[in-house]
Amino acid sequence: MEKEPKSREGIKGWINPAKYGKFGIERFAWILMRITGLGLLAYFIAHIYETSNILNGKEVWDEMLAMTQTTEGHIFLALVIGMCVFHTGNGIRLMLVQMGYGVGKAQRPDYPYKPQSLNMKGKACIYATIGIAALAMWYGITVMFG
Amino acid sequence: MKESVVMKIHYGTALGAVFLTVIHILMRMTQDFHESLEFENVLANYEMLGYAILLELLLILVSVHGFNGLRVILLEIKQGPTYEKAVSYGCVAAMAILIAYGTRTILMAHLGMV
Repeated sequence: MEKEPKSREGIKGWINPAKYGKFGIERFAWILMRITGLGLLAYFIAHIYETSNILNGKEVWDEMLAMTQTTEGHIFLALVIGMCVFHTGNGIRLMLVQMGYGVGKAQRPDYPYKPQSLNMKGKACIYATIGIAALAMWYGITVMFG
Repeated sequence: MKESVVMKIHYGTALGAVFLTVIHILMRMTQDFHESLEFENVLANYEMLGYAILLELLLILVSVHGFNGLRVILLEIKQGPTYEKAVSYGCVAAMAILIAYGTRTILMAHLGMV
């Protein structure tokens, strides 16, 4: 079997700042979707381990809880809330786009070849998602520090 | 399995996980947030059959979605038949281990084996 060609840029393409200027907020949403996804998976694994401490009795549970009930722990949880809300909002946007909603009508590809799918509706959704994530983080902080 | 079917599962698990996560978080809001995390209250949550089922479903949905997401990310970075197989099987194995570990916690806590 013929060896398939490797991805040209790989992880370097992810972090190349030149791509952000070229592709704008959509590129930012793309990378943020991956970072929040990886962050949430790491948190989920840690959460499964953390909650398994309930089986070791009250003392161990209280010790584990004390580690999370600190200022740093609350800030970390607020970040998790933000990641969760952004990942959810942007994920719903991507699902709708894949179903063909909000991608605009097909047009003849003329210079400067701007794709119809990267339109103002999509950009507005991304900004709104970031805003809602920030609001959710703020609400989480008021609950945890309240 | 066809990638299109995998992506449908990815979206389905996402929607299910969002719905169950909202209920999971609302359970913390039924009383004071810090109070709800006390040992007795958390154990009482596990002992409720309905909530234990919700936690198990949430565990499965988030694990499937999370590890498939990780697989997609890893396949975006690098391609190749051996690499792709290793990533896919590795993610399925990691998902199965996490589900088994979480299920053990839910079952033991629900049955009062604390």
